[in-house]
Amino acid sequence: MQDYTEIQSPVKSCDTEDDLSPIRMSRRYDSRTTIFSPEGRLYQVEYAMEAIGNAGSAIGILSKDGVVLVGEKKVTSKLLQTSASTEKMYKIDDHVACAVAGIMSDANILINTARVQAQRYTYAYQEPMPVEQLVQSLCDTKQGYTQFGGLRPFGVSFLFAGWDKNYGFQLYMSDPSGNYSGWKAAAIGSNNQAAQSMLKQDYKDEITREEAVQLALKVLSKTMDSTSLTSEKLELAEVFLSNGIVKYQVCSSGALSKLLVKFGVTQPAADAS
Amino acid sequence: MESVFGLVGKDFAIVVADSSAVHSILVHKTNEDKIMLLDSHKLMGASGETGDRAQFTEYIQKNVALYQFRNGIPLTTAAAANFTRGELATALRKNPYMVNIILAGYDKDIGPSVYFIDYIASLHKVDKAAFGYGSYFALSMMDRHYRKDMTVEEAVDLVDKIIMEIRSRLVVAPPNFVIKIVDKDGAREYGLA
Amino acid sequence: MMKIDFSGLDASVPLCGNTDELCNEISTEQKFELPTAADFDGFQREAVQMVKPAKGTTTLAFIFKEGVMVAADSRASMGGYISSQTVKKIIEINPYMLGTMAGGAADCQFWHRNLGVKCRLHELANKRRISVTGASKLLANILYSYRGMGLSVGTMIAGWDETGPGLYYVDSEGGRLKGTRFSVGSGSPYAYGILDSGYRFDMSVEEGAELARRAIYHATFRDGASGGVATVYHVGPNGWKKLSGDDVGELHYLYYPVEPASVEQEMTEVSGL
Repeated sequence: MQDYTEIQSPVKSCDTEDDLSPIRMSRRYDSRTTIFSPEGRLYQVEYAMEAIGNAGSAIGILSKDGVVLVGEKKVTSKLLQTSASTEKMYKIDDHVACAVAGIMSDANILINTARVQAQRYTYAYQEPMPVEQLVQSLCDTKQGYTQFGGLRPFGVSFLFAGWDKNYGFQLYMSDPSGNYSGWKAAAIGSNNQAAQSMLKQDYKDEITREEAVQLALKVLSKTMDSTSLTSEKLELAEVFLSNGIVKYQVCSSGALSKLLVKFGVTQPAADAS
Repeated sequence: MESVFGLVGKDFAIVVADSSAVHSILVHKTNEDKIMLLDSHKLMGASGETGDRAQFTEYIQKNVALYQFRNGIPLTTAAAANFTRGELATALRKNPYMVNIILAGYDKDIGPSVYFIDYIASLHKVDKAAFGYGSYFALSMMDRHYRKDMTVEEAVDLVDKIIMEIRSRLVVAPPNFVIKIVDKDGAREYGLA
Repeated sequence: MMKIDFSGLDASVPLCGNTDELCNEISTEQKFELPTAADFDGFQREAVQMVKPAKGTTTLAFIFKEGVMVAADSRASMGGYISSQTVKKIIEINPYMLGTMAGGAADCQFWHRNLGVKCRLHELANKRRISVTGASKLLANILYSYRGMGLSVGTMIAGWDETGPGLYYVDSEGGRLKGTRFSVGSGSPYAYGILDSGYRFDMSVEEGAELARRAIYHATFRDGASGGVATVYHVGPNGWKKLSGDDVGELHYLYYPVEPASVEQEMTEVSGL
């Protein structure tokens, strides 16, 4: 009953300019993920996407001989021990990996369910799970949290890189609403719009994996807030075929430093251009 | 008495089943098709209790179709075989299905294959398989005459030989059989174009 | 209630002292309740017989030029005892569809009435009569879902739908067969003998009815569990019609005329002469 009267009230009090401001309007609906606002929006889901806009970014590029994922690690303190393993890149199965932007604790839950789903599929069919099915099953989970009462959506966007026998190399991007789509090149996290438009400009079909790495690093060097690009702030992972077998490989810090020098993106973006 | 058997040839697989529906000493009909088309390139020959056979094979067929609707890609023969085995295995400790299955299929990049699945949920990829009372004749004759590079004509010749043997040696032998073939052009009944 | 006697399994000497507690625990683990009967196996067999009377019946149906002919006897028996001579074994599901009854009378009646309801609901929902194929599948699926739980039904669903005459055999083991000629029940081998030798597709309704009646009669003559009245129904494009119901005792004089038999052996007087 209470809710009903609240929903009614804005119509009556709309006359004052103050009440028309989006912030005042949204507040009535933003506490519940399950309720549409009169404009047809789900505020909690939008806020979740907002949260990702502040997270370390990640870029994925599809090439003809593999998929490249590059991520920006936010080093918040000098005292923070940089973990020996990866922070933004996760292997889901032998043939699928993902890059994360958003709340890591949320991401860990989803990565775990994705891994379980992939194993469950292999258990049932004795063959690797097709990439899109894996992405879809994960997005079904994400969607559930935007609809069923009392739950907060996952504040995570993913880039999935994978290979399967039906469609070869694939790159998918998903957001907190549970939407996903396939891309040739995509960016998530902070400054993703700038990165996306740069990718649109520079992406060519028939790009090789090496060129894709170069492009990804170049774009990231220009969209990152930090002044200089170093291997400590970066993660690079690739999915490719080696002797007909899918391989997921994370670039070592040393090799990454060499790559940055080779492609000339160690300098601050402003100086380079 | 029931006879189901199948084999892999050069670029096709063949499944044969008798077509009798029997209850104790009575033959209810002699034109019952016991080989189901799972999808355009898969055949499932089954023997066992009439009800279980019909229900289980239809259940598998519908699930294979559902997979294709959901995911836009068909299951490979291997995946369908493993799925079938899994369903039999989960049912085994609850309400077992008394069905033995010969699953034949053709995959574009793999070629033809035949899988042997029995009611206690064991799965084997094989060149030739047989179930039922006819299997005693079918197995020995396939062991003797089978070659990996058989043509359709040679395979059908062998199948005819086996059917004649079953009809002449087996007590209460079934009068009619159904022969189905699956190759790159799909699954179909042999002799019907 | 009786308990299974595990005394034979007990160690002759208690393993560890004679702690009642331990022994009690073990013995409570290993008992379950059984009916109090001296001969348990015999009791169980009898109980099963009680809920699952012998299929002492002869029913038949066949498709021919003019539609479907359905016929049955009318005897109900419980072992050697004839419990009724006036059972209606042909059940009218709707004006266009009949079911026959063999096996458990209660099971058959109950599930046929249930099927009648479902067929009517189908008719209301779809504005057309259910097909014989559909109705038989409905029944087969229900019976299959109760498989192994003691149902005993052997039935034929015969009728006329948009595709013409239809005939299916359905049983409680889940079997469902489409066909043109079936007979079910303990008298069925006898009925098949008459049916198979006398059947022609292009029979007239009269010829068909005569064949069906004869088949039932001959089955009742040889099968002790079949008898009473031979009822014959015909289903044509305008629905079913009951054609006849004749006491098989009277049919006997029609179909099995007693010839003046020669006396097999004359008694000869041994003594005296």
